[in-house]
Amino acid sequence: MNGSQTAIKIDNVGMVYRADNQEVTALTGVSLDIEKGEFISLLGPSGCGKTTLLRIVADLLAPTSGQVLIDGSSPREARLQKKYGMVFQSPVLYEWRTVQKNIELPLELMKLSKEERAERARKMLELVGLTDFAHHYPQQLSGGMQQRVGIARALALRPEILLMDEPFSALDEFTREKLHEDLLRIWGKTNKTVLFVTHNIAEAVFLSDRVCVLSPHPGRLSAVVNIDLPRPRTMELRDTPEFTALVAKVRNSFEGV
Amino acid sequence: MKRNGSSSRFRQSITTVLYPLFFGILILVLWQTQALHAMLNIDPFVLPLPSRINSIIGESLPKIMTNVWATLIVAVAGLLLGSLFGYLIAIVATVFPKWGAGGLSIVTAFNAIPIVALAPVITNWTKDVSSDANIRSMVAKIIVVLLMCTASMSLNAYRGLTELRPFSQDLLESYAAGKFTIFRKLRLPNSVPYIFTALRVSVPLSVISALVSEYFAEYVIGVGRQIRENIVLGQYPTAWAYITVACLIGIVMYAVLIVCESILLRHRK
Repeated sequence: MNGSQTAIKIDNVGMVYRADNQEVTALTGVSLDIEKGEFISLLGPSGCGKTTLLRIVADLLAPTSGQVLIDGSSPREARLQKKYGMVFQSPVLYEWRTVQKNIELPLELMKLSKEERAERARKMLELVGLTDFAHHYPQQLSGGMQQRVGIARALALRPEILLMDEPFSALDEFTREKLHEDLLRIWGKTNKTVLFVTHNIAEAVFLSDRVCVLSPHPGRLSAVVNIDLPRPRTMELRDTPEFTALVAKVRNSFEGV
Repeated sequence: MKRNGSSSRFRQSITTVLYPLFFGILILVLWQTQALHAMLNIDPFVLPLPSRINSIIGESLPKIMTNVWATLIVAVAGLLLGSLFGYLIAIVATVFPKWGAGGLSIVTAFNAIPIVALAPVITNWTKDVSSDANIRSMVAKIIVVLLMCTASMSLNAYRGLTELRPFSQDLLESYAAGKFTIFRKLRLPNSVPYIFTALRVSVPLSVISALVSEYFAEYVIGVGRQIRENIVLGQYPTAWAYITVACLIGIVMYAVLIVCESILLRHRK
């Protein structure tokens, strides 16, 4: 697309933790421009700072150097304006609320009317294919279904950006592959910008437009790999030589692991 | 899955209800036939037979009920006020974490003071509360129960308000929720199971401390006080009638708690 706009601008971001008079550099000099509607993965092993970077974008952490701009404004402003929805490593559903009430939680904070909350929750449940489970409690759902509720809740805010922190890492392989397809289908329908943190190379390649490879000690951006595989992507894509070649290319771009 | 759940619940009710019931009946039979007295070498005068205890309860029911109400009011009022007070302390400790730990230690220290030491002090405190000895005594007894029930609630509620699942606070912060919203939408509902954990300790404790606090009260009323008065006078059957009633109070209050818990927490694991 011509004249595409920047959704997230990460500019020379660094993060240094100080503990017991020791300095630990979690991130150093990370710069990245993410366009509107792009699906970007932050890929790396444990300790590479990928979750730290996501939390900085989400304004759950403040960087010690550099800055992040979301749609031209600070992460704090973006958070206050509810410009992003976040999906965590665990579904984080409140067990005292039904599935529908969990999805309505952010809408309650936005002071939407009861009718509008229910209507939006209904649409989101339809989107993730859980319409029949609206009045179930989270503990009655499988892990994969719970995480779909987590995604529905993040989307209920109608954010421009979806931040996902290893959302499928706790799921089994079969459920994960199913959710990959679901996520791409939802992303295709809603045109969100997605920033997706993972330590799974195949997952990153399958989902993303670009894979940002982060290397540890200190956490830094070591490569950005374009994934020019056609969309829509289905499970069969994983068996093609093009996919395998890209996985190998991404794997070879790690430094010092 | 559902069938499996209900059958395991059925099996559980056998072990939790039927076995104790069977054991209770066995004891009762041994007791009534004086086999228990022979085994333990006790005089039936000191340990009256169940039939005798039962007939005493029947004969003096109105008088027993007056004492039951006196004890029940003290136990329930002390339990509710103490739990409320304990919960408020937990909230303060949550809002001001720096004082929190210290404050909770003080509460635990208070809890360690025996009623024997506490009761006379409180009776002395409350001597000007009312000109009516009954009311004056009741206030003193309620305060004793209150202090006994505060600790378990404050310690458990503090855990319920602060031990949150990973990311559950991040979630609300990502929605730009303030401290009060986090309290209302997350901490408060998260603490509900912990409230019941506290009550499982403090309900029986409230009955025991109500009974014991009556020993030291100025005004002679209540099931606990009647147990003492009758034992002192050598009226063992009457004393045992009150002991039985005291047990019933404890069992009924605990049963009410369990029913409330199973209704309120039915959707939680």
